[in-house]
Amino acid sequence: MSRRPQGLTAGLLIGPATLVVLGALVAPLVLLARYSLNRYDRTNFMVEALTPENYLRFLYDPFYTGVLWTTLWIALVTTTLCLVLGFPIAYRLARSQSRWKSAGVLLVILPLFIGSTVRALGWMGVLGRGGLLDSAAAAMNPGSSVALLYTPFAVVLGILSINLPYMVLTLQSVIEGIDARVEEAAESLGAEPSRRFLLVVLPLALPGLATGAVLVFILAMNAYATPLLLGGARFQMMAPMLFREYAVNNNWPFAAAIAFILMVTTLTLTAASSAFVQRRYKAA
Amino acid sequence: MAGIAAPMAPATPAQAPARIKASRLTAAGVFVWVLITAGVLVMAVPLVMTAYISLFRDAVVVFPPSGYSTAWYMRIGEFPRFGESLGTSLRIAALATIGSLAIGIPASLALVRYSFLGRGVLNVLLLSPLTVPGVVIGLSIYVLVVEVEIATEAPLIGSDLVLAAAHLLITTPWVVRLCVANLIGLDRSVEEAAANLGARPWSVLWRVTLPMMRQGIVAAALFAFIVSFENIEMTLFLISPGVMTLPISVLQYLEYRIDPLVAAVVMVQTLVIAGLLLLLDRYVKLSRIV
Repeated sequence: MSRRPQGLTAGLLIGPATLVVLGALVAPLVLLARYSLNRYDRTNFMVEALTPENYLRFLYDPFYTGVLWTTLWIALVTTTLCLVLGFPIAYRLARSQSRWKSAGVLLVILPLFIGSTVRALGWMGVLGRGGLLDSAAAAMNPGSSVALLYTPFAVVLGILSINLPYMVLTLQSVIEGIDARVEEAAESLGAEPSRRFLLVVLPLALPGLATGAVLVFILAMNAYATPLLLGGARFQMMAPMLFREYAVNNNWPFAAAIAFILMVTTLTLTAASSAFVQRRYKAA
Repeated sequence: MAGIAAPMAPATPAQAPARIKASRLTAAGVFVWVLITAGVLVMAVPLVMTAYISLFRDAVVVFPPSGYSTAWYMRIGEFPRFGESLGTSLRIAALATIGSLAIGIPASLALVRYSFLGRGVLNVLLLSPLTVPGVVIGLSIYVLVVEVEIATEAPLIGSDLVLAAAHLLITTPWVVRLCVANLIGLDRSVEEAAANLGARPWSVLWRVTLPMMRQGIVAAALFAFIVSFENIEMTLFLISPGVMTLPISVLQYLEYRIDPLVAAVVMVQTLVIAGLLLLLDRYVKLSRIV
């Protein structure tokens, strides 16, 4: 066919995309890593240096470690809730043979692409002062009010409503891959529904559960709009804090250090959990 | 446990015996239905609520509203900040979509149809933007662009060039992912037959391979568009006061107030995306590619 060596053609085909990733991801990250070792000062903003002080400042200041803990805590709670609420829906969808099944799947997919601001706006209407719940409470019991907006509860609810469709879709495709006859065998051998779930379905779905959990965990760790709009000014998570260090305080070296701490924490935890599940799965 | 399934042949829906009966009215069964209802409510309530608020007549959100009207939808045009930012969003998303198809399709051809040194590494590299937090990508591109601005004295922050390049970074992995999946599923013998019959490599590409990839390319284009159109976290760092994308102007508006106008704006945005997705669903099974 072609007299050119294969490697050259392939190189020409894949070259542009590789250059974009190198130029817009790898090079900026290298520069950001260098910035994170610089020193901040109020008059000159950034002074060239080679110091770990930005990382140490984060690790030794209870305020910043507190924000990291809050972020981790919110991410773990929402991931757990996603698993608990997502599994039954995914199971029903996967095992359904009704003609509404594809409509159901489409209804789960649509919210995936609808921006986080839409969800936040809806919850503000439900939870806010003068919102649906507040007005209902006032109507039933004059003088009372339910202030749920600007609480961790509102943030968990907001992130949950954004992440749940991801979990449902991941689990649905995994459950579709589990042979229904395995469950029927367990049933005909006399296993109760709960035993069937714990001893047959759950172990087979475990790798899928891990994939879904990792996905929604990453999303929750990096949430920006939801904590900002539903958490209020006093509630802090990593992504909004990073943006504020950059935009309000103009402290780029520290923002760079926060960026790497966020990235490394997320990657470490996800890698550890996949390794853990893989080992369990092989042993089982 | 995994061993149980192994000796069995995969079930096709037709031969699968009568499915397990839905759980009877036991405590566990009720509990499962409570969980399902809670999950569906969590997903549906915010969307329904936003649609509901967008129909309120009063400018202040109070329950119950004094009346309903669709007037806010008509008045969106009177608020230039939303119109302008919608224009920016559409422009950047279109540029990023075209660009990512132009570089992503050739890259996926190389990844699937050629074997070369470092293919595995390049595959991971091209998908890696999906695993890095959006705020981290945004901040890192921002500091690089500022360095370039200082060196060249060209105003770059907030320019279409930088925004489109940054969006190119987050849309290309999706194009590569979808096109690679599509290419793997295609029968290679058709291309070989065309080549045996004397077609030159370029006409094999134009007349055989690309037409066969049509589904994957349509899916990749719509995905790339939506990913770019919805992005907040990365774009935040790259906008300038005059240039803003729609999700960010909605976000900034919501930080100060909530009213039926902004609800109407996001409903329009939502309907556009839902329309695109329904269109996409005609070409490819959405549940396969997400």
